[in-house]
Amino acid sequence: MYILKNSFKSIGRSKGRNVLIGIIVLAISVSACIGLSIRQAAQNAKESALEGMSITATISYDRQSAMKDFQPSMGEGGKRPEMPEGGFDRSEFSKMMGNDNSLSLEEYEKYAEADSVGAFYYTTTLSLNGSDNFLPVSDETEDETEEDSVESEENSQDFGFEMGGFGGKMPGPMGNMMFGSMSDFSVVGYSTHAAMSNFSAEGNSTITEGVMFTDETEDFECVISEELAIYNDINVGDTVIFTNPNNEEESYEFTVTGIYTSTEGNTTDFSAMMGATSLDPANSIYTSSNALAVIIANSEENSSTMTDEDTGREYETALTSTLSATYVFKDVESYEKFEDEARELGLSEEYTISSSDVAAYENSITPLTTLSKIAGYFLLVILGIGAIVLVVLNIFNVRERKYEIGVLTAMGMKKGKVATQFLCEIFAVTLSAVLIGAIIGGVCAVPVTNALLDSQLAQTKANEEQVQENFGGMPNMGNMPGMPGGMGGMGGMGGMSKPDNIDIPEGFMGEAQNYITEIDSAMNLTVVIQMLGIAVLLTLSAGAVSMLFVMRYDPLKILANRD
Amino acid sequence: MSILTLENINFSYGKTKVLKDISYEFENGKMYCIVGKSGAGKTTLLSLLSGLAKPHSGKILYKGEDIKNTDKYKYRSKYIGVIFQSFNLITKYTALENVMLSMDIAGVKGINKKKKAMELLLSVGLDEDEANRRVLKLSGGQMQRVAIARALSYDPEIILADEPTGNLDTETQNEIMEIFNSLAEQGKCVILVSHSPDVAKMCDECYELKRNSKK
Ligand SMILES: Nc1ncnc2c1ncn2[C@@H]1O[C@H](COP(=O)(O)OP(=O)(O)OP(=O)(O)O)[C@@H](O)[C@H]1O
Ligand SMILES: [Mg+2]
Repeated sequence: MYILKNSFKSIGRSKGRNVLIGIIVLAISVSACIGLSIRQAAQNAKESALEGMSITATISYDRQSAMKDFQPSMGEGGKRPEMPEGGFDRSEFSKMMGNDNSLSLEEYEKYAEADSVGAFYYTTTLSLNGSDNFLPVSDETEDETEEDSVESEENSQDFGFEMGGFGGKMPGPMGNMMFGSMSDFSVVGYSTHAAMSNFSAEGNSTITEGVMFTDETEDFECVISEELAIYNDINVGDTVIFTNPNNEEESYEFTVTGIYTSTEGNTTDFSAMMGATSLDPANSIYTSSNALAVIIANSEENSSTMTDEDTGREYETALTSTLSATYVFKDVESYEKFEDEARELGLSEEYTISSSDVAAYENSITPLTTLSKIAGYFLLVILGIGAIVLVVLNIFNVRERKYEIGVLTAMGMKKGKVATQFLCEIFAVTLSAVLIGAIIGGVCAVPVTNALLDSQLAQTKANEEQVQENFGGMPNMGNMPGMPGGMGGMGGMGGMSKPDNIDIPEGFMGEAQNYITEIDSAMNLTVVIQMLGIAVLLTLSAGAVSMLFVMRYDPLKILANRD
Repeated sequence: MSILTLENINFSYGKTKVLKDISYEFENGKMYCIVGKSGAGKTTLLSLLSGLAKPHSGKILYKGEDIKNTDKYKYRSKYIGVIFQSFNLITKYTALENVMLSMDIAGVKGINKKKKAMELLLSVGLDEDEANRRVLKLSGGQMQRVAIARALSYDPEIILADEPTGNLDTETQNEIMEIFNSLAEQGKCVILVSHSPDVAKMCDECYELKRNSKK
């Protein structure tokens, strides 16, 4: 094939120009290769992190979408419908915002039937008061010394993820806070021991004395924290008495079967910050949800209507429980399937399914995905500019070689063949430059990505510190696992009250910097194929122009016009 | 039978009429000389014969068929060998490469192209060193000889030569004319353009182009 032979000869004949084109293509391809590698690394990180990770998810009421539904109805038809108390239907609103929207256990169990669900458990949380000889751990008497605040600053780094743990450990407290009842204890009932991942091998709580309450028992057995035990001088086998905060007459006697310790961070800071004793992890009491079910039934039976002395509002004395259900999935695909299945089983659109694991994981790769996005735009720009530069260079090339084209066609070489020869030249130069670029890019990709990731990480952290300053010592709030979308989306509350951060791999939760800080391999077949695609793309865009020019030329005119 | 026939050819560049109502027949085995003053349209006529330009009216027949209807690339690359007045060599190629390229384009097969190209270049009076030199570094006469060698390289039936000996000394001119003569004897049709009366004398037929009167 003399065309090929010719094009190679031609490349050799105009080394200068081809070296120039080669360098430009090389620069484009090195950058493109790094860009692609970053994108690939983000993809790899995603896949490998999610691989074999079992996912837990919760269903929560989407207040925001409910708000949207609510608002238009207020101004319907140009005039507001009749509304009590200043044109705002409070009862409607509070019904919407209130507990009425939580799913019942039956409903949760119905969705658990979905094929994708691997396991299902739930917790019931009651806010109960203690009795005279059983008081909650409280720091109200403690002075806030300077030392304390220094310490808290030091500890603040840990918070982001302690919060996650906290959410799991204390299901429901937020709900209680919202209704203003400041009770002593959070009594958490677990549907099964399997749900108590805090006590699993990876958990941070252990029974140090006695034993765990009997699984699924209806007997009033519980485990209490070491702090609480010391504070009230309680030993294993003792009984403690809880009372209904709404009705002191209503009391329940529990046997303490065990005492646990938790390695979780500075709990005092926490309760001080949140301002409720029941929120102090030390005041968490664990029992079986079946036992709590007995209490709830009993409390409802004996309920009476009381009137609040201050506000004059009427309320029921019956204990209200907060239910929180957790679905466990064997992998992300199952989790993703669950949404459709649950909707099919009748889950209304007002409820959202969210997974703190997935959210935490997504948070962990934020710098990488941000970098990946930037790399994507960068790639587009590089390729755009690269294509333009190549097209321009090729226009010059073809114009410069006009006379050669004229001679070749005058000698009877088909224009198509001339164009093919030019294309071959461009392709050979571009392809070899892309190949060299891919090799260089492949070698550089990992260190460059890691360096970029470092600066991206610094940026993310700087942003966080800004947030921290603005929100006064609540670092990572926006990124809190279990609170997808940050505080703004109250729908994320459901995520707060799941039993624990089950199965999140170590390193995700272990430290404050839960970000992926390094990648180790980026090049793979996909990148190579993409690079080849880029080579073809660049060649074609440049070649197309050459073709156009060659086809347009009339040999007689070229030869006649030569100088 | 004539190999090339001109039937009432008219051609003009824009409004400048160059060729007017020309009819002629070229036959195999003969050497023709087209004469005429500068600007008479000799080069233009060769462009028409080589298919690079199209007559505005009239027909050019190759073996009885209108060249409009034949594959013009095949016609140019195989059937005719053109020696342009301005040589039209690819200057960055060597003389040898120029000759070989034409053989490639013509699709010459089954022979040692390099050897044949070198033989041709030697026969028109270049030495091996000159044959391997880039055309850019050759003298006008040497370039002309390379162009001649190129036109002969794929053994075409018709040779169109625009002042092939214009830059050559008498001795070399005679050698070249000897080559053309032998080609004609082999049965080829050789069409030359020349101002030289010596060249015209050596040809079988002469055709004089009159400079077109401004009618
Ligand atoms: N591309 C062109 N555009 C316009 N006019 C042209 C063009 N080429 C040639 N001409 C004109 O056509 C006429 C014939 O030109 P041509 O080159 O055929 O002459 P020629 O007989 O070969 O002359 P010479 O002996 O000097 O080579 C001239 O008057 C010339 O000026
Ligand atoms: Mg001329």
